[in-house]
Amino acid sequence: MTGVAGIAVSVLLGLAVLAAWLACFALLRFRAALDRLHCSAFVNAAGGGFVAAAVLVQDRATDRSLKVLAILAILVLGSAALSHAVGRAILLRDGTGSS
Amino acid sequence: MTPWLVAAIGLVPALGAAVIMCARGNAAARLAAVQLAGSIAVLLLVVLTFALDQPSSIDLALTLALLTLPATLLYALFLERWL
Repeated sequence: MTGVAGIAVSVLLGLAVLAAWLACFALLRFRAALDRLHCSAFVNAAGGGFVAAAVLVQDRATDRSLKVLAILAILVLGSAALSHAVGRAILLRDGTGSS
Repeated sequence: MTPWLVAAIGLVPALGAAVIMCARGNAAARLAAVQLAGSIAVLLLVVLTFALDQPSSIDLALTLALLTLPATLLYALFLERWL
């Protein structure tokens, strides 16, 4: 793939990798478990969004790109539900979520 | 080397760091690290599908994304009640 589309795919994938790295550094930096939950939510929203955008630029509307959109929907919607459940478990268990 | 392969190689150390964090800290911090590792693993599988040009392997990422939901919910339930 060459031209503007190739550059766009490269930039979007670079941003996705950057989001993953940023979340890892945040995981090392944050001390409280409740704060750490934001790392995975950030990767799901930002990283997943960038990867899905790169897939759409490369593949347009194909079977594979629709499955990637389904994965993005599962990640974003599921992440909200999971963060709520995990945060509730941490609060019930520890009280403050601090580690 | 395609940008997809470069991105896959770039995601591997991030996944490794998240997996290492799964073994450190208390149970709640480990659960947050497991969530992050699962999210990065799904992204890595999607990127690898395009890097290796195997269209059928996108089902692996879809399956992992679907299985992560009940798995993490079960882990949260165990954390809340028994661990």
